[in-house]
Amino acid sequence: MSPGQLLLFAVGGLATAAYLFIVTAGLSLVFGALRIINMAHGSLYMIAAFVTVVVANRLGASFGFWTGLLLAVMLTGVIGAVIEILVLRRIYKEEHLVQLLGTYALSLVAAGAVRLFFGASYRTVRPPDIVSGSLNIGGFRYSGYAVFMIASAVLIAIGVYLLLYRTALGRNIRAAVSDPELLNVSGVNVSRLYTTVFVIGAGLAALGGAIVAPSQAVGASMDTDVLVLAFAISVIGGLGSIVGTAVGALIVGEVISFGLNNQYTNQFAIAFVFIIMAAVLTVRPWGLFGRPEQEL
Amino acid sequence: MLDVAGLNVRYGKSHVIFDLELHVAGGELLALLGRNGAGKTTTLMGIVGLLPGASGRVEVAGRDVSRWPAYRRARSGIAYVPSGARCFPNLTVVENLEIASADGEAGWNRERVFELFPKLEGLRGNLAGGLSGGERQMLAVGRALMSNPKVMLLDEPTEGLAPVVVHSLIELVGQLKQTGVAILLAEQNHQMALRVADRAAFMEKGMIAEQLPAAQARGSEVLNRILGI
Repeated sequence: MSPGQLLLFAVGGLATAAYLFIVTAGLSLVFGALRIINMAHGSLYMIAAFVTVVVANRLGASFGFWTGLLLAVMLTGVIGAVIEILVLRRIYKEEHLVQLLGTYALSLVAAGAVRLFFGASYRTVRPPDIVSGSLNIGGFRYSGYAVFMIASAVLIAIGVYLLLYRTALGRNIRAAVSDPELLNVSGVNVSRLYTTVFVIGAGLAALGGAIVAPSQAVGASMDTDVLVLAFAISVIGGLGSIVGTAVGALIVGEVISFGLNNQYTNQFAIAFVFIIMAAVLTVRPWGLFGRPEQEL
Repeated sequence: MLDVAGLNVRYGKSHVIFDLELHVAGGELLALLGRNGAGKTTTLMGIVGLLPGASGRVEVAGRDVSRWPAYRRARSGIAYVPSGARCFPNLTVVENLEIASADGEAGWNRERVFELFPKLEGLRGNLAGGLSGGERQMLAVGRALMSNPKVMLLDEPTEGLAPVVVHSLIELVGQLKQTGVAILLAEQNHQMALRVADRAAFMEKGMIAEQLPAAQARGSEVLNRILGI
């Protein structure tokens, strides 16, 4: 493999890592604060991708994509708020199995709704003009959209960091991770905070779905496709850790990219992800950057 | 300042606090004494609104807060310092203080809390999880003060602390009265509590067995009978 090829595959891996990071950051944030593993996270991502594609193709050109992205994030945020208030609030005190079944049920409802509204066929959309070009470096063609995806992920990572560590809301979210009861008696409306966190998590799923839409075919199975990878990333990096999510996404993105671009391994590139996941589970069940679960 | 009447707490089918009545005036310190399991912590948690099975009337400065959730009661002027020097371990000292910050007449802010606990100022950027037990208790009291409370409920603040620290902490709680705050202090360490209390309420099996001025409670036969000393 030449150095140029190596770089090309690495950038491809970064683009995959980019959207996976955005989606998994939302999953991880929700788990960290609400202690809920949201099986419907992939559904929110899928809904956002469909909304973006439909709106972008309807309105056309560049304007359509950005409008679609904005609408997708807003709609998914509203769906997130409704889910948190109507469903999750009733199951916070239940055991993990009930929570898994509850959010899994939501994912089935969402899958049915998507098939009803958008049909079972695949849809595609062109990247917006401003990022649709390609760069020629060392005889290899790099897609401008891949670079846009990577830049988006970096910006979102910085945004999430600033939110968590530089704002009062972020401080309250971190406090809720360690002691929601103490936060409550300190005068913070924890119920409302939980809704806000879930809406932010849903918004991140939506950003991932909207951003990924021009780079792949959008279909009714993308909810489980992304959820499986997001879980793998969470297990590798450690659920609830943003740094772990970034590292996990990088590992998974690069493994998929290099696996797919090698003629001997492209049939089972995804399998490597789960081999790594199994290895991490064996050695460090709480992930590379996570902490062992403890009872407070 | 704090008026509690007809407080009952039920956990499922078991009734654990019975028709409790407590009144603490502004600038007064009421010691809530009793053996382990007498219901002191449950009483405090019922007052702050953490127990769904609690019923009865709770008034703060004449305002009925009984139907409010815990966070609104906190904003109405109740500050609760739970036992075990509970802090947010993954937040810095400053963040722990700021989280409860609210304006109020007493004028407590970060600077004044640091004047009161100079040791905390040197640790301002440290995570609370890395502090010693005594430092965390200071932080817990400091956090409560940051809300400029009308009423402070302290649950076993001396538990697990070194004797020297216990001494200065209790002295400090006694001094806080002078700012006009009403203090309800639940303690197993009755000797320490009675040194600074104005009155004492003795709890037994979820009921108030006796209420006395602190001067009378010291060395009285009530200590003997209820606390088994």
